[in-house]
Formats: sequence, structure tokens, C-alpha cells
Amino acid sequence: MRKNWWKILAACLVSASVVAGFIGPVPELHILNESIRNVYFHVPMWFSMLILYLISVIYSVKYLNSGDIKHDIMAVEAVNTGIIFCFFGLLTGMQWANITWGEPWPNDPKLNGSAIATLMYLAYLVLRNALDEEQKRAKISAVYNIFAFPIMVVLLYILPKLTDSLHPGSGGNSTFGELDMDNYMRPVFYSAVVGWILTGAWVCTIRYRLRLLENKSNKIQ
Amino acid sequence: MKKISLALAFLLIAVCTAFAQDNTVEMATALRSSGKIWVVVGVILTIVIGMYIYLFTIDKRVKKLEDR
Amino acid sequence: MNLLREVKTLVLKDLILEWRSKHAINSMFLYVISTVFVCYQAFKTVDDTLMWNALFWIILLFASINAISRSFVQESQYRQLYYYSITGPKAIILSKIIYNTILMVFLSVIAYLTYSVIFKNPVGDLLLYFVAVLLGSISFATVFTMVSGISSKTGNNSTIMAILAFPVIIPLLIVLIKLSNNALQGLDRGISIGEIAVLLAINVITVTISLLLFPYLWRD
Repeated sequence: MRKNWWKILAACLVSASVVAGFIGPVPELHILNESIRNVYFHVPMWFSMLILYLISVIYSVKYLNSGDIKHDIMAVEAVNTGIIFCFFGLLTGMQWANITWGEPWPNDPKLNGSAIATLMYLAYLVLRNALDEEQKRAKISAVYNIFAFPIMVVLLYILPKLTDSLHPGSGGNSTFGELDMDNYMRPVFYSAVVGWILTGAWVCTIRYRLRLLENKSNKIQ
Repeated sequence: MKKISLALAFLLIAVCTAFAQDNTVEMATALRSSGKIWVVVGVILTIVIGMYIYLFTIDKRVKKLEDR
Repeated sequence: MNLLREVKTLVLKDLILEWRSKHAINSMFLYVISTVFVCYQAFKTVDDTLMWNALFWIILLFASINAISRSFVQESQYRQLYYYSITGPKAIILSKIIYNTILMVFLSVIAYLTYSVIFKNPVGDLLLYFVAVLLGSISFATVFTMVSGISSKTGNNSTIMAILAFPVIIPLLIVLIKLSNNALQGLDRGISIGEIAVLLAINVITVTISLLLFPYLWRD
């Protein structure tokens, strides 16, 4: 149980954010009304996705340095888990946008950016499928992963700031901090983010361990 | 004179309250005051906690396989 | 200094090879002209400047993908082995990037000239538009060189190249189209400085990452 404390922490943080997110007071805003509570559930998806992609890049760098196939497995499983979170983020975002902005896919730089980032990581998976040899696949996909990551960061962080966006914090919209005047939302939001990131990391490690087991059983046969 | 000013003040207050009513944002206070929001919280909490218990069992299974 | 000399020799070699066969230039020239002409047949006139701009960038994008995707494949296995024995990977990727940049600048100037001759040219700020085209061709060259290096290691080249390159190039394309739109409408140049800075920064990042990563690709 000594090593599992962070998993329990993840469960507690997410549960706490659910309770506090539904019961706690929120600023009264036009258009958004009660749906401001979605901040506790929709935004953490994107944060966990980014952290998982970051883990993937770190392990790709590690792989290129060491040549250890375990690092490559970690990198690909982080991407796999990150894509799941990305789809959750897109789906929840579309539901939310449908009632507040009037359409599920408004032409917004953040939306388009995240769609392109999804394409980038799907391309990473396609690239992996195209290569058969294990060492070569690991090496080439690691190179692509590291090559694509900074451009994705530009895409998701810098471009929306340059253009008008419906999302807070860009194009003249007020930031999240200004909306949250009584600072009540902040702790709930951060605990939700940390909880979901830990959950994502947990799922990722489970997939990683399963992959290692698969590899082991393949070798024995 | 007094009557007129009183009437004016009354009018002013009425207009003010009317505007104030326009400015309020509709929130789901009824759901909250009747306590039924707790039902929703309970349902979602059940799902979330159930999911985490499920994750824990998967984790345990993987651990068993690893120890073998 | 040794690296610089090697890069210079390699770039010269590529240029001379190209000059002798004129294969890439001729085929690209024909490609650009025929696509522009197909567009002309389809649209006749493009009155909308937004559309004019988008069409130009699409033509340039596909022309450059076709031009650069061959940059590693055309080298035979034995020649690569020969390079491997005489130079380092850094010299090779740098020389490829420089050569592709030269090729792309040339190509985009040709594309721009033919395009603006066949369609009426509505550009408001010619210098700024030229800067946008130049920056665009440089960034196409830097990004596609590395991606073509990656995709040349896989078997089925052309599809993988497109799949890998498009997500990476789209953010650049968004900035480029915005910048060139500013130029088309002849807006004040101060507005466009942010976009130019972003483009330059992305180019610097891609070149450094290519320099860092190419040795791993090469050591195969």
C-alpha cells in the first residue's frame, strides 16, 4: 500500500471535486449560468492530455539516449492514454459549446488546434504501424514525437493568443482568474486537475505494465 | 410637493428593482434548495468511486500477473 | 569551420546535380503551371482576395510536398553509405535544409509569378507579401526536409509523408495565411510583426531539433 498512496489521492481528489463542483457556490454569469461548473470536468481533460503527451516526449528522449525498449513502450502508452483524454475533452467541449455558443463546433482556434494536435498523435500511431522492425520503429517514432511536440505547443498556446478566441484568456476575453471573483472556484479546479492528471498517469502505468507482460509472454513462447 | 417627490421616489425604486431583476442570472437555486442536487451528486459519486474501485481491481490483477 | 565547409560542398554538389539534370526544377515548373491552369479553368476569375490567397497557398503546399519528398529517396543506398563514411549527419541534414530552401524559394517565386499573371493580382503591400512567401517557402523547406527524412525510413513513402507532414505544417500555414492576408489588404506593417516573429521562432526551433534528432535517424 506504500506505493499506492497517489492512486488513492487521485480518487479522493476527483470525488471531492465532484461534490464541491456541484454543491459549492459559483459566480453568476450570463449565458454560462450553471454550466460554469463544467470547468471542473472539461478543462482537466485537456490538462491531463498535455501532461501525458509531455510524459511521452520525455520517455522518447530517454529512449533515444538509452535505447531501452521499455522507455519506448512507456512513450507509446502515454500517447494512447492521452488520446483517450483528448477525445473526452473534445466530446465534453462540444456538448458545452452546443448550449453556450450555439453550435458544437464553432470556428475557434483552440478547437481547431486541438483537432490538429489529435491528428498529429494519430499520425504518430500510424507511423508506428507502418514499421515492423521493433528497434527501428521505436527510434523513428521517437524522433517524430520529439519533432512534433514543440509545434503542438505553439499550436495550442501561442496561436490562440494571437487570434480571437471564444475561450477565456485570449482575444480580449477575460481570463479564468478574472471570472472567478470570489476565488472559490480555484481550489476545486486545481484539485480536479491534479486528480485527473494522477488518474491519467495511473491508467498509463497500468497499460505500460500490461504491455510489458505481453512482451514477456511473447518471449517465452 | 411632498406627495410628488414621494411618488417620484417610489417610481425610482420600482424602476431600479425592475432593472435589478433583469440583471439577475438564472441559476438552478430551486434544485439546490429542495436538496435534490444531492441525488445528482450521489449518482455521479457512485459512478466515479465505482470506476476507481474497478481501476484498483485491474491494478491488483496486473500486480498478480507480474509477481508470477 | 570543418562542418561549414562540408555543408558548402554538399549543397554545391546537390545544386550541380540539379543543374545538370534540371529534373526537379522542370517537373516542378510544369506542376505549378498545370495546377494554376486547372484552377484557372475551374474558377475563371477569383474576385475574393481571401480565396485568391488560400488557393495560392494550397498550390504552393502541394508543389513543395512533391518537391521535397524526394530529397532523401533519390539518394541510393550505396551513396548514403558513402556519405556515412565521409561526413557526419549534421552536415547532411544542414546541407539538405539549405538546398531545399534554395529550391523552395526559387519554386515559390515562379509559382507566385505565374499565379499572379494568370489571375489578377490584388496584393496591397507587395513587399510584405513577398516576405510572407519567402518565410513560407523557408518554413516548408525546414519542416518537410525532416519529415521526408523520417518517412524515407519507412517503406511506403508518399502516404506516410503526407500523414506526417500535414499536422505539422497546418499551424505554420495558419500563421502564413494570416500574415499574407494582412499583406493583401495592405494593413499597417506593425500589425504583422507578431506573426513574422512566430514564424521565425518556429523555423529556428525546427532547424535546431532537426540538427539534434537527425543523427539518431541516420545511424541506422
